[in-house]
Amino acid sequence: MSSSTSLALAQQALLQALYLPRQSDAIKCIAAHAQGVRAEGQNHLERRLQAYRSNGQVLAQRVLAAAYPVVAQLVGAESFEALSRHFWQSHAPDCGDLAQWGGGFAAFLAALQDLVGEEPYLPDVARVEWALHASATAADGQADMASFALLESHEPSAITLLLSAGVTGLASSFPVVSIVQAHLAGEPSLQQAGERLRGQVQEAALVWRQGLKPSLRHAQPGELLFIAALQENHPLADALAAAPEFDFNPWLVPAVQTGLLLGASAL
Amino acid sequence: MNRFASPTGPRSVSAGIGWRHPHYAELLTTRPSLDFLEVHSENFFAAGGAALAVLQQARTIYPVSLHGVGLALGSALGVDLWHLDQLARLVDRIEPVRVSDHACFARGTVHGKLVHAGDLLPIPFNDESLDVLCANVQQVQERLKRPLMVENLSAYLTLVGSDRSETEFLTALTRRTGCQLLVDVNNIYVNALNARMTGEQAGDPVSVCQAWLDQIPSNAVGEIHLAGHCVMDDIVIDDHGSRVTADVWRIYAYAINRFGAVPSLIEWDIAVPTLSVLLGEAQQARALALSCGGQPELVG
Repeated sequence: MSSSTSLALAQQALLQALYLPRQSDAIKCIAAHAQGVRAEGQNHLERRLQAYRSNGQVLAQRVLAAAYPVVAQLVGAESFEALSRHFWQSHAPDCGDLAQWGGGFAAFLAALQDLVGEEPYLPDVARVEWALHASATAADGQADMASFALLESHEPSAITLLLSAGVTGLASSFPVVSIVQAHLAGEPSLQQAGERLRGQVQEAALVWRQGLKPSLRHAQPGELLFIAALQENHPLADALAAAPEFDFNPWLVPAVQTGLLLGASAL
Repeated sequence: MNRFASPTGPRSVSAGIGWRHPHYAELLTTRPSLDFLEVHSENFFAAGGAALAVLQQARTIYPVSLHGVGLALGSALGVDLWHLDQLARLVDRIEPVRVSDHACFARGTVHGKLVHAGDLLPIPFNDESLDVLCANVQQVQERLKRPLMVENLSAYLTLVGSDRSETEFLTALTRRTGCQLLVDVNNIYVNALNARMTGEQAGDPVSVCQAWLDQIPSNAVGEIHLAGHCVMDDIVIDDHGSRVTADVWRIYAYAINRFGAVPSLIEWDIAVPTLSVLLGEAQQARALALSCGGQPELVG
């Protein structure tokens, strides 16, 4: 449809008004397109526009808090509200499924020098939380136990392994798994997570879905490289070669039991 | 033109609730008597996962109505094809009794960048807006191969350019597309209260709402929504955060006398109360519909 019609221009003006930081600028933006209402000395147009602007900001905070509960706890309610508002204004959603919105929050946080100066681990915490959020809605995977017979019958160069929905790995310079798990599950304790942070412990996170449940654990040495190779559909032999630190045999059975590994397939 | 036949004939009373996350587990465990559940379509667009599994489980117990908040049917930019694909997939999976969304816009471009406001923004009531809305509704109906229901808004702003009433506009929409209306009686009331607050409209708000309903063809309505609202000093907000008020119940009774016992829904989206409170509100809707001669029909 034409984007130059009067309807399109009016809609564009109202949309722009919703994301402008200052209410006074927003009012100017829609002045030509919205019917002014003055009654009893009050300009109701300002109040009416504010209702929509506030609704968007409350919505932003609710959506981001659902995806980033740990970041919200770490920065506190007041700061999270301000961050949500700024993110809403600078990174407006582009689709009507708001569960899809917010993937850029980690990069947004990373660009806030004052914030990351105080809490440099926040962007990595956000990355782990987004991986958990995304894994919750990934397509369901179906384990194929019979397919594991291929591990016996075929050479590693002739098969690959099939992973759970939403598998994501993240290597961090911070104890990011401990921080997230301390806030979401209480294990380790906040005190223990704090000690690891002060001790400059670096952790690698693995996110996957165990059935319907998004899960997080420490990645084993070399595991992220191994998984990255499998996600690119490389043969098992190549994935093992890409991760010389990775110890495959003790990994295999727990990976099947926890739903991380769903099956094998011949190439 | 209307390629989608609307249901006709006498209706059974049908009362449901908007099913929200706090009540997922309790409802599936207790299975209260309800005629249908309604969910926000977008909450179940995921390819997989727990939310979709819960909805599929509920669908084995109750009819489900899919109520969208994101199609943005009045957007001059048109309908988002990705969004429509997700909705079509969900419709295939759930086989809902009804599919609905709003007579609003939310999509557009700001400084050349695509934006979706995540809100139900008002549209003017004129030919240009009607053409856009009809084209978008038709596109959705063709894709879903079923009629859509379109809900009237509670609107806090009036865009310039309207040259007809909301009821004339919505009636024309139904005639051109074959869609039905989902009449939210709380929205009509909120609009009437806000119009009285600014002096735009005089008279008793309940009477204003009844006159609004009188202007809608009696066969054009497929569902009614009921909800609470929040009255502030300078504005009334349609917040779906409290019980249906006595005035809105009066308007509802008037509506079902006019439209028949169309399926009716209690919406409650913030400060969500216990399930028993919601069920009580649905029961009240059911009792009112029965008092108007509807036939009982319970599921669950």
